[in-house]
Amino acid sequence: MTVEASETAGTAGVRFLGARKAYWWLLVRGAVLLMFTLGIYRFWLTTDVRRFLWANTEIDGESLEYNGTAVELLIGFLAAAAILIPVYAGFFLAALDIGTLGEVSGMVGVALLGLAGQYAIYRARRYRLTRTVFRGLRFHQTGSAGVYAVQAILWWALTAVSIGLAYPFQVASLERYKMRHTFYGDLPGRFAGAGWRLFLRGLPLWLLLIAPLALAIGAFFAMVDWVALANALSVESDDVMARIEQSNPELIGAFGFAILMVITSIALALLLFPAYRAIMLRWWLSGLRFGGIELVSRLRTRRVYGAYLRFLGLALLFSVVLAFGSIPVLFVVGVLTGGQDTSIAAEAGAALVLLGGYVTAVLGYSTLYRATVGYALWQLSMESLQLSDLTALDHVTAQGQPSSALGEGLADALRVSGY
Amino acid sequence: MTTTDLSTPTSGPAVFFDGRTSARQDVRVTLGPSGLQMTDDAGRILADWHYDEIDELNAPANVLRLGRRHDPVLARLEVFDAPFAHAIDLRAESVDRTGAIHRRQRLHVVGWTILATLALVAVSYWGIPTIADRLAPAIPLTVERRMGEAVNMQVRSQLDTRNAGAGFDCGVNEQPGRAALEKMIKRLEGAAGLGLPLRASVVRRPEANAIALPGGQIYVFQGLIEKADNPDEVAGVIAHEIGHVAHRDNTKGMLQGAGLSFLFGMLLGDFVGGGAVVYAAKTVLQSSYSREAETAADRYGAELMRKVHGDPRALATMLDKIGGATEPGMKILLDHPETKARVVAINRIAPDGPTIPFLDAPEWAALKRICAG
Repeated sequence: MTVEASETAGTAGVRFLGARKAYWWLLVRGAVLLMFTLGIYRFWLTTDVRRFLWANTEIDGESLEYNGTAVELLIGFLAAAAILIPVYAGFFLAALDIGTLGEVSGMVGVALLGLAGQYAIYRARRYRLTRTVFRGLRFHQTGSAGVYAVQAILWWALTAVSIGLAYPFQVASLERYKMRHTFYGDLPGRFAGAGWRLFLRGLPLWLLLIAPLALAIGAFFAMVDWVALANALSVESDDVMARIEQSNPELIGAFGFAILMVITSIALALLLFPAYRAIMLRWWLSGLRFGGIELVSRLRTRRVYGAYLRFLGLALLFSVVLAFGSIPVLFVVGVLTGGQDTSIAAEAGAALVLLGGYVTAVLGYSTLYRATVGYALWQLSMESLQLSDLTALDHVTAQGQPSSALGEGLADALRVSGY
Repeated sequence: MTTTDLSTPTSGPAVFFDGRTSARQDVRVTLGPSGLQMTDDAGRILADWHYDEIDELNAPANVLRLGRRHDPVLARLEVFDAPFAHAIDLRAESVDRTGAIHRRQRLHVVGWTILATLALVAVSYWGIPTIADRLAPAIPLTVERRMGEAVNMQVRSQLDTRNAGAGFDCGVNEQPGRAALEKMIKRLEGAAGLGLPLRASVVRRPEANAIALPGGQIYVFQGLIEKADNPDEVAGVIAHEIGHVAHRDNTKGMLQGAGLSFLFGMLLGDFVGGGAVVYAAKTVLQSSYSREAETAADRYGAELMRKVHGDPRALATMLDKIGGATEPGMKILLDHPETKARVVAINRIAPDGPTIPFLDAPEWAALKRICAG
C-alpha cells in the first residue's frame, strides 16, 4: 500500500536548523513577561522554548514536532497545587504537635517531597515524550513513576554516601529504566551506556576535586595536637579561643590551609564543569538506542568550553550595562527616600524600583545563560549525532496515548522541572 | 472560506504521514472548494481534509505542517513549496503564514496573565487579611491552645538566652508580687470576657515589652515592670496584649502566613530572581497586616482600661517612654505603627469618670520586686 518515497540512507546525521536570533527574542520577551507576571508566564515560555528546539531539530530530513500547549501545563500545575496544598497543610499541623509525630514529621516531609520530586520528574518526562511527534507518530513512556522514584532516591542516598563515586552507576541505572520504558511508536528504546565507562571518564575530574579536600583533612590530622586540644576544650573558661591557640599554635595555619584548599577545589570545579557536561552528554547520547537504531555522539569538549566562554563574555558586558543602569535607579531611590518624613507610598515605590533592578539583573544573567550555554549544548549535541540503520524508521507503527500534564505540574510546583 | 486568488496554484507536492505508520509518502495535494485532497503516484486518494478542520502545527520556518484538529490519529501533511503553502493559507482560516493569528493570541495571553497577576496581588493585600479575619473565629479554641503549647516551648527557648529554665519566670519566691499581678489580670480578664483563661507571668528579659501567645499565655518582661511608674502603665500594656488574645491575632497571623505562602511561593514567584520578590512581598505584607492588628489591639486595650475604670492613656504614656525616639529603618518594614500615631489614637479615648487604681502602694511595690527572688 505505502509508497517508499525516500530510500532511507544507512546512516544519517541530525541537523539543527534554529536561528539564534529568533531564540534570543523568544527568551528576552519571555524574561520581561516573567518579571511582570511574577512567573505566571513560565508555562508559555517553556512551551515556546520546546516548540523552537523541537521544530528545529531535524532527523533524517524530518523535523520533530512539539504539540503540547501552555494551557495544558497551567492546568497540570493547578492540579498539582490542589494536591500539594492539603499535604503541606497536614505537615504544618503535624509540626505543631509536640509529641513524636511533630518530631518525625519534618524528616518524613523531606523524604516524601524527595520521592514526589523524582515521581514528578518521571511523569513530566512522559508528558514531554507523548507531546513529541515525529513522522506522524508520537513517542510514549510506560513504566511506573513510583518504582522509578524509589530507585532514584535509593541511588541518590548511595551516591551521597560514596561521595559521588556511585553517580555514574546511578545515571546509567536510572537511564536504563527510563529508556527501557520509552517507545517511538512501537519501536522500543533502550540504553546501552555502561556506568563503569562514565566512571572511568569522570574519575580524573573527581580526583582533581577531591585531592585538595583530602589534603586539607590530612594536614589537619597531622598538625593538630588532639590531646592538647581536648584538654583546652574541657577546661571551662570564657576564653576558649585563646586556650585553643595556646595548646595548638599550628591550628591557625591548618585552618588557613584548609580554606585555601576548599577554594582551590571550588575553582577547579568551575573550571572543569564544561568538561564534565561534555563527558556526560557524549556518554548519554551515545548510549541511546531505538530498536536497531544506534546513536553515536562526537561532541567536542572544546566547543562546549566555547559556549561557556561566550556566556562569560556576554555576562561581563551585561554587568557593565547593569553598572551604568544602576545610576539612574539609585538616583530615583534617593529622591524617593531622601526627604525628612518619607511616606509609606514613597518607600514602597523605592523598594519596588530596587527589587525590579535586582530581578532584571538576575533574570538577565539567567537569560544570557539559556541563550548561550543552553542553546549551544542543544545545538552541539544534535549536530554531534550520527544515527545508524535508519531503515527501521520506515516501518514503525503508531502506539501510545497522550498523557496528562500533572507530572509537569508537580515538577513545577516542587521546583524540579527541566526543559 | 476566503476568496481565492486565481494566480495561486491549486495543486502541489507535499509529504504525507498517515499517522498509523512512520512511512513517508510523497503526495499530490489538490485544493478543492471546501477541502484538500491527497493522492499518491498511482492516483489513489489517501486522505480528504476539510479546510475548517485543519490545524497548523509546530514546524521549522520553511515548512507548513498540517494536521486534523482533535484527531487522535496524528496524520501529518508537510508542504515545503512556499507558493503552494501560501495557496493553502488563503483557503484555510486557521492557517496563517504571516503569524498574525499567533501574535493576536499571544497578546491575549500577555493581557490575561498580567491581569491575573494584578488580581492575585490585590487578593494578597485585601483578600488575605479579610479571609483570615473570617476564618480565625471558626478555629476551635482547643486547636489554638494546642498551637499555643508548641509556640510556648519555642518562644521560651528563644527568649531564655541564659537557659535559666524554671528560673526564667519571676515571682517563684515572691508570693506578694505574683498576687499583685494576679489581681491586675483578674480585673482586666473579668471585663474582657474571653472564651479562654489567661495565663500571665513576668519573665526575666531586659526589654520593656510584653507578648501574647496563642491560647492566652501572656509574658510581661521584667524591663517593662522596671520602666513603669504606676500600675496603670503595666495594666495598659497587658490590656493591649489581651486585645491580641481577644482578636486571636496569633491565629490570624498564622492563617495570613499560610495564605501568603500559597500566593507568593506557590502561585507567584516561580522564576529566576523570584525568591527575592517572594521574600520582599511576604515581609512587606505581613508588616502591614501586623500594623493593623497593633492599632486594633491599642484600641481594644484602651477601651478595656476605660471599662475597668483604669486610665486608658497609661498605655500611651508607656509607649511614649518605650519608643521615645523615632524608630530607624523603613516604615513599610515596621510591624508596629509609628509611636506618635499610636499615642495620638489612644489619647482620643478619655477615661470614664474617676479612675480606680489597680494596686495599692504595698502591692505596687511587691510587683516591682517580683523578679528580685
